[in-house]
Amino acid sequence: MRRPQKNCSICESGVRVVDFKDERTLSRFLSERGKILPSRLSGTCARHQRQLSTAIKRARVLALLPYLKGHGG
Amino acid sequence: MTRHYEAVYIFDSALEEAAINERLERFHALLARPDTDAPELSHWGKRTLAYPINRHETGYYVIAKLETSPEALPEFERAVKLDEGVLRFLIVVNEGPQPVAATADKGDGEDDE
Repeated sequence: MRRPQKNCSICESGVRVVDFKDERTLSRFLSERGKILPSRLSGTCARHQRQLSTAIKRARVLALLPYLKGHGG
Repeated sequence: MTRHYEAVYIFDSALEEAAINERLERFHALLARPDTDAPELSHWGKRTLAYPINRHETGYYVIAKLETSPEALPEFERAVKLDEGVLRFLIVVNEGPQPVAATADKGDGEDDE
């Protein structure tokens, strides 16, 4: 069974290289808990999913994005 | 050979603006090469951190786009790590759109198309 193809929203917005400093865009690709969404759910193409994953990890190091969201401590 | 880098610093938000500028100058002096331009700085200012770093809830963000040779980096990183006013920093090869001059370099290996 093939799943219906989704369109990569990053390609559609015309961005070539995902910027790790743009935490507002990156946060669209995080789950409620702050995990990186799989491309299966977000529909991003393979190239942009790879860039996203690096960018999100860099943004986490810089405390722009949390490693874990909704943690009470 | 020089490459384009992008450095992000998170300073202690208790530091004065002058102290931050003094540090930036000191760090960038280590990276300066005779044939490169001065780094392009952008101050984001004080922001809330997504999680506390060394019990600090806020930090002063500065982004620098610079060009330097890779041999200068270990000395630079050592100086930045030793500075207690810097909560965290990250320096990466700049993969964003490059200025026109950079496209003349061959074998840059940054673009996979």
